[in-house]
Amino acid sequence: MSRSTSTSFFSPRRVLIIAQSTVTQLVRMKIFYFLAPVALLFLGLQFFDAIWFEGPEALMPEQELRMHKNICLGTMMLFTSLFAIVATALLIPGDIEDRTLYTILCKPVPRLDYLVGKLFGVIAVLFIAMLVMDVLLVTTLHFRTEDKILQTTEYMTKIGYPEREIAAGRADIAAHGPTMILQFGVISHFLKACVIAAVALLISTFSTSTLFTIATSVMIWIIGSFQSIARDGLFNDATFGEAPGWADKIVGTLISLIFPDFQLFESISDAAARAEDVLYGDMAQLAGLSAVYIGIYVVLSWFVFSDKEF
Amino acid sequence: MSEAAAVEVKNLVKDFKGPFRGKKVRAVKDVSLTIAPGEVYGLIGPNGSGKSTTMKAVLGLVAPTSGTCAIFGKNSTKVDSRSEVGFLPENPYFYKHLTAAETVRFYGRLCGMRGRVLKDRIEEMLELVGLQDARDRRLKGFSKGMLQRIGLAQALVQDPRLVVLDEPTAGVDPTGSREIRDLILTLKNRGITVFLCSHLLEQVQEICDRVGIIHQGVLVNEGRLGDLISLEDKTELILQNASPDLMEQIRTLIEVTHGTDLVSEGRARTTLETLFLKETQAKPSGESKVVKVRKSRKRVSK
Ligand SMILES: Nc1ncnc2c1ncn2[C@@H]1O[C@H](COP(=O)(O)OP(=O)(O)OP(=O)(O)O)[C@@H](O)[C@H]1O
Ligand SMILES: [Mg+2]
Repeated sequence: MSRSTSTSFFSPRRVLIIAQSTVTQLVRMKIFYFLAPVALLFLGLQFFDAIWFEGPEALMPEQELRMHKNICLGTMMLFTSLFAIVATALLIPGDIEDRTLYTILCKPVPRLDYLVGKLFGVIAVLFIAMLVMDVLLVTTLHFRTEDKILQTTEYMTKIGYPEREIAAGRADIAAHGPTMILQFGVISHFLKACVIAAVALLISTFSTSTLFTIATSVMIWIIGSFQSIARDGLFNDATFGEAPGWADKIVGTLISLIFPDFQLFESISDAAARAEDVLYGDMAQLAGLSAVYIGIYVVLSWFVFSDKEF
Repeated sequence: MSEAAAVEVKNLVKDFKGPFRGKKVRAVKDVSLTIAPGEVYGLIGPNGSGKSTTMKAVLGLVAPTSGTCAIFGKNSTKVDSRSEVGFLPENPYFYKHLTAAETVRFYGRLCGMRGRVLKDRIEEMLELVGLQDARDRRLKGFSKGMLQRIGLAQALVQDPRLVVLDEPTAGVDPTGSREIRDLILTLKNRGITVFLCSHLLEQVQEICDRVGIIHQGVLVNEGRLGDLISLEDKTELILQNASPDLMEQIRTLIEVTHGTDLVSEGRARTTLETLFLKETQAKPSGESKVVKVRKSRKRVSK
């Protein structure tokens, strides 16, 4: 009897199989039903402040579009990040608790494949959810922008602005519509959710309960979002007229290693919402940073998980 | 041919951390056992004696505190060792959201199977464990015995050379239990090594070549089944249609023979299991069957 018996240390095919099964699992848990209220919110927003911005405010159509973008992006960020945490925290401790993991790990499946597969499965679902929300955002924003452009053009023509200024006004409004820069904002939220999922993955490898995993991940998520502010306030505060001591520096560095720093993610998505220029270089840096974070968390998870007994 | 042993456990010791710090539970104490290829090996012992722990160590699910385990010469802590082994854990549990066929497919794919081969194999496995009717039902609604069956299908999907079964018949009805027994015998005939543990000693007795008895983590006895259970100084005599005359003659013969005692005498019995099987085998027209049996019993008692 001759069989191929060598099992590679890491196999993309196996990762794919586990990721696929994770997606099936999440889909059959009816996770996408959560998109319905999000869709309602995005669509409802359309009618919401059309009334509100009557009168002189109508002169500031950019404000209105910005608010639309802020609310939508904020919702997307909240939804994907929470989803990343909850999904990851449910999946792995769940497998351990009901011992499904036994049957998987006693097949020739390296533990790294299992972890990476689960993470990719969650990321794939995040991607689909983000895509759906993005389409909704772009569609609603498109109609709204068109509407504003029309209104503004009418208004400016009535008052008698020269043709050139009207065109400039139209361009200003269009810049607040669905642009590539807006997509950067969406991407940065997606990347943030991926990093959060990796954090939850790490925590779920050593925690013994779903609740602990969720609570800790949410905490890290919040700290990560505010850590640069906290760190600056705590350790680099120049108002005391003192340079930070070495102990403070070490603590600061440790914090930034344990907790991911989401400042770059936030600043890019803020800039996107304000329709400011976001450079491709910044995006590349953000993608690189996310990859590094995810890589670190996966490796750490693997260390914990490879010694784990069930 | 010097083939590596199917399972080789050498001086296995396994400690679990106790509920309090520093306090350890020693689940397995210096167990050594070897299972030759093609053998059916049964591990028996009371609850909590370390059977499942030994099996998990063989599969690399727990790391030995000391000692080693190997499957076909490959160390159990390496992923490589798992390509030729199928495992049915005790009280198996699978993804509830998958159907029976999808479950077998998932595990088949994890073993690197694909395409036509896998497709045929899925059907073959479902038929083998008698779950064709439930093939497209989600596992959410499966009974314990059905889960056990799907667990078997999953364990056998890649046609492994070694099958490790932790209480394969737990929760399965007598007919199913009998089917699983037959299945294990089929596996044995095909030269597949089986390592199982069970509390159904009768079954263990029926199918195992070799048996190990483990008690509080220590392998207290091990050997070929025949050697273990035969009582050297006792002989059993089962007679059919023995007349009272003959019985009387035998009794006097025993009496006059020096050093021989009649320990017991009575009707040879069938087991409850056999009886249950006989009654439940013919499923259709069960009603008339019952009547017939009653009649015949009456005739006997008269
Ligand atoms: N993960 C674990 N953590 C702590 N102790 C454990 C763990 N797994 C098993 N044990 C202990 O190890 C001992 C042996 O357990 P094991 O499951 O091997 O018994 P078993 O022989 O399979 O029993 P059963 O017949 O009930 O299945 C028990 O005392 C049990 O409490
Ligand atoms: Mg057990």
